[in-house]
Formats: sequence, structure tokens, C-alpha cells
Amino acid sequence: MDERRIQENVIKVLQIILQEEIPNGPGFTRRDSEAWDSLKHIEIMFALEDEFAVEFTEIELAELDSVAKIVVAVQAKQ
Amino acid sequence: MKHSLSLDGHAFRLRPICDDDADLVVKLRSNPELNRYLHASSNRVEDQLDWFKSYYTRAGDYYFVIERRQDNNPEGVISLYDVDEQRRAGEWGRWIIRPGSLAALESAWLMYRIAFEQLGLKTVYCRTIACNRKTVSFHDSCGISSRRVLKQHAEIRGEKMDVVEHEVDDITWKRIAPRLETLAKLTVRSLARA
Repeated sequence: MDERRIQENVIKVLQIILQEEIPNGPGFTRRDSEAWDSLKHIEIMFALEDEFAVEFTEIELAELDSVAKIVVAVQAKQ
Repeated sequence: MKHSLSLDGHAFRLRPICDDDADLVVKLRSNPELNRYLHASSNRVEDQLDWFKSYYTRAGDYYFVIERRQDNNPEGVISLYDVDEQRRAGEWGRWIIRPGSLAALESAWLMYRIAFEQLGLKTVYCRTIACNRKTVSFHDSCGISSRRVLKQHAEIRGEKMDVVEHEVDDITWKRIAPRLETLAKLTVRSLARA
């Protein structure tokens, strides 16, 4: 899957779980959303694992806090 | 108060706090990333030990360390206090978790289990500074629909602040517990990969 497609799908997952628009694409971070709390973060990470058939480590789970970082991590695992 | 309640979850456990944990509490409470919405407290371990002396004699106050089951490393602290035996109600809080930890969700789930299953409470509430929006959102995300705003209820470093109170009764707990446990189980999966 190319970078653009990964980014689109990451944004789709975030929109579904956070139930809000993702206004600035790759620049969107956890700080930009009040709804991206620690419970939603777990939901997002496991939804992404299902979406892309990848597995994140504990450190990645803690550090993947933006669309851009998630896209890079997913790309690296494909 | 001195207590012996502890509970193992999937990746984490709650166990009674003790004097040996004074340094942990001081480090957590003095971390600027974590203490923005906490009441000011001393950075001295001796003062924390004095606070523990008072806590040990205070009825209805259960203070816990959140630690990893795998290696017993502490990840944070959490408390259930102001437990009213007549009303079978209590408040939980003093919830501080080190940055980068995944213990938030499971520690909350364990806290509710202790409150409802071990202590037999009927109602548990949590009060969060309204500006602490991520934590307010966490409680909302748990599926707690009973919430109210207490205007100017808290004072942090001289500033009056609104507080959001989320209340969970034993019926709501039965509704929200399965989802919290499912997410806790998913979390432990990733810990095993580390």
C-alpha cells in the first residue's frame, strides 16, 4: 500500500473512533483532539493493527501520537 | 488507611502503598508533565512520609500503587477515598501515571473492580478539573453518562476551577466493565510483544 493510501486509511480510522473531522491530514496530532484520550488511543491503535494487518510494540503504542508517525510506522512494517 | 486490598489484572496490579513508595509519589507529583492539575505538594520524601502517617490512620481511604505484573515495576498511583459506609459510596482519584505508560485503562478498571466487587460499593464517583480535558474525555469514553459540572469547586495554586464529576453506580458498572476489560486484554497483547 502506498503512503497516500495508508494516510487516507489512518485518517478514516481516526475519524471513526474520535467521531470528528481530521482537518490537517498528516499534521494532525493527539494534542489537536480532546477526544484522543488514553482509552481512545488504545482503540485507535488496535483498529489500525486490524486495518493494516500489523502489530505495534508497547513503545510504539505510547509514541504513535500523530498521523505522520503512524503512517511511517505502518510503512516500515509492510 | 493501612489496608491489604490488592488486585491483579491482565498486565497490571493494584497493591497497597507503603513507606517505600514515598519516593515514587514525590517523583510523580513533582513531574511538571503530570502535576498541572494537582494540588501543590512538597517535593521532600520526608513530607510524603509524614502524609502517609496521617493517611494510615484515615478510615475509608485506600491508596494503591499501580505496578506491572511482569516485573513489579511501579507505573503510577491511584486511590479510593472518602468511602462512606452508610451510602456505600466513594470517590476515586489521586490518579497519576508515568508518561508513556499504558496502565491508565487497566488501572481504572481495577479500581472500579475493587470498589464494586471487593468493597461492595453502590456508587463511585471521580472529580476531574474541567480544564483537564483529556482525563474528562477518558471518563466519557468509558461510557459514563452520569456527569455534572461543579462550578468553582476546586482551587489549584490559588485559582478556582470548575470540576467535572462522573458517577458510576453498580448497574452502570455492569454495563461498562466488559468493554474496559476487552481493551485491557488488548493492551496486554502489545506488552507481550515488547
